[in-house]
Amino acid sequence: MEKLLEMNNFFKNIIIGLFSVRSNLTRVILTASGLTIGIFTVSIVSAAVSSIDKEFAKSMDYYGNDKVYVGTWPWSFDFDWWKYRNRPKIEESSLEYITQYSEYITDVSIKKNTWTRATYGNKASWVQLNGVYPSYQDMLSGTKIENGRFFSQNEWDLQRRVIIVGGTVRDGFFQGKDPIGKKIRLNNVTFEIIGELKKQGIGMVPGGTLDNLVIMPSTTFERILTRWGFDELVLQTSPEDIPFAKEEVGMIMRVARKIPPGDDDNFAVNSADAYMEQFNTMKNAIAGMGFLVTGISLVVSAIGIMNVMFVSVRERTREIGLRKAMGATNFNILTQFLSEAVAIAIIGGSVGIALIRLTVFGLASFPIPNFNGATLPISFDLLLVFYTFTVCVFIGVLAGLIPARTAANLNPIDALRDE
Amino acid sequence: MAKSKKEIISIQSVSKIYNLGETVVKALDNVSLSIYDNDYISIMGPSGSGKSTLMNIIGCLDVPTKGKYKFKDELISEMDDNQLANIRNEKIGFVFQTFNLLPKLNAMQNVEVPLIYSSLGRKERIERAEEALHIVGLQDRMTHKPNELSGGQRQRVAIARALVNKPSIILADEPTGNLDSKSGNEILKFFAKLHKDGNTIIMVTHEESVAKLSKRRIDIFDGKIARDE
Repeated sequence: MEKLLEMNNFFKNIIIGLFSVRSNLTRVILTASGLTIGIFTVSIVSAAVSSIDKEFAKSMDYYGNDKVYVGTWPWSFDFDWWKYRNRPKIEESSLEYITQYSEYITDVSIKKNTWTRATYGNKASWVQLNGVYPSYQDMLSGTKIENGRFFSQNEWDLQRRVIIVGGTVRDGFFQGKDPIGKKIRLNNVTFEIIGELKKQGIGMVPGGTLDNLVIMPSTTFERILTRWGFDELVLQTSPEDIPFAKEEVGMIMRVARKIPPGDDDNFAVNSADAYMEQFNTMKNAIAGMGFLVTGISLVVSAIGIMNVMFVSVRERTREIGLRKAMGATNFNILTQFLSEAVAIAIIGGSVGIALIRLTVFGLASFPIPNFNGATLPISFDLLLVFYTFTVCVFIGVLAGLIPARTAANLNPIDALRDE
Repeated sequence: MAKSKKEIISIQSVSKIYNLGETVVKALDNVSLSIYDNDYISIMGPSGSGKSTLMNIIGCLDVPTKGKYKFKDELISEMDDNQLANIRNEKIGFVFQTFNLLPKLNAMQNVEVPLIYSSLGRKERIERAEEALHIVGLQDRMTHKPNELSGGQRQRVAIARALVNKPSIILADEPTGNLDSKSGNEILKFFAKLHKDGNTIIMVTHEESVAKLSKRRIDIFDGKIARDE
């Protein structure tokens, strides 16, 4: 019973605090807006980071986590191109060394890359072209043949003009109708579509989408598309063997190219995890900046709340004196002012949540190509609300503590005499 | 003073000393005083005489530096802040010169303030506040805010607030100081009525005419009781 009465008193003081929030609403809203911005930014930043993360992971699927790529240039966001431009081209013959000597590589293919214009009737589009071995069928990652088939060894031997197309070709050229058996022109040469890849969606890495990709036998590629482009070796291994495979392939390549000991490699052994590492650094930088900005805005808003609370205590010194004369204990006054500060913080946080909601609704209702607002990874579950409220209560208590203590420790006689 | 009356307050050799840096101010110097049930006392004295200090000590807003202060059976001079707050809440009703009503609250809510710090439930709080406003004759002004009331009415709201917890004593600090003479007289008549109804009233005042209406007069001079009759 005693406890219950104490609780009752506690809540009464909270209500008094809330009442004074109501009577200074303009000031409260202005103060709380700092926190609104803070809560809003923190959600947007974490949403952006996890969105980038997801898109990047999708792009990484294209390269696969079980493949090693040998090329001229290392995969890097900040490569020093002048170091690599004079390196010799990748030769298909190196594949023989690798198949012969490697323990970790289970399957190999050349991958010739170029871009060209594809036309069908009066429609035209730029596509990415890959010339590969028949074995590449089993090495496709991030997608699969959804319709039709891959080319055969026989077609590869005979340099047939058959192609497997990415997901956007169907919509771009054939109004969503089945493209199998249709003929399109690449670089003014007619090719027959024999297979279609599963549509993947937008990617983030250069060339990292499979949707406007066209795959053909590397023999055909060599015969017809002799324009500029670059070759890569695609080597199949298993995800856990990637580091060993990379080291081993590096050594085999040095042997194949007869590089004397002590000289630098004139090729690069790449894998998706290297990209991933660099990407994570970048992502952490974005997140770090975002959270720094948020942190600053939270601190600033806490200072704002503290300031307003000091003003409030100053303005209501007589009220505090009166309440104390009427029997309010120090704890009563402390609770009253703390709950006022927490209420301001919670108002700010709630408006922040409402703003995020509005933003997501807004994004979802604007059609942006290749982007669906509804997939924004901001979840409006109770967890977000819970975190926001925890942060708000924490900031409110932190900002309100010193002013509330000042109020609670006021001497009633002096406070009553205050003009 | 009739000894048959019940003693409420017993002040024994109380001193209050303020240390203001290098100077030491003896605001109260060895004061002894008894206050009995249903007393109507006015305390007079020039400014700086120590009457406010005495008032603050009687009102449990302050504790003496030396001496004993007993309120009924409780030793106030030894209490901490929280205990003092409880005594103020339960035993003492304050009336101030400047009314000290909270401007954002209506008459009813203002009267309710002391009850909020007691352990009464909401229903009982409202009943008590209504009853107190009835006593001061403001039953039809309950929802008015202080700025919608006249000075005399405001002071009556303040008196209702002082009465609402059924205190043992009512402490009034210059209750007519901010009122015109007509409203002031009304308030004084009202105090007389409260006294007749059995309340104990202690009033600080400057005015002879006000002091004359009380039944007992205490003059303070230089921190000492100069007259008590």
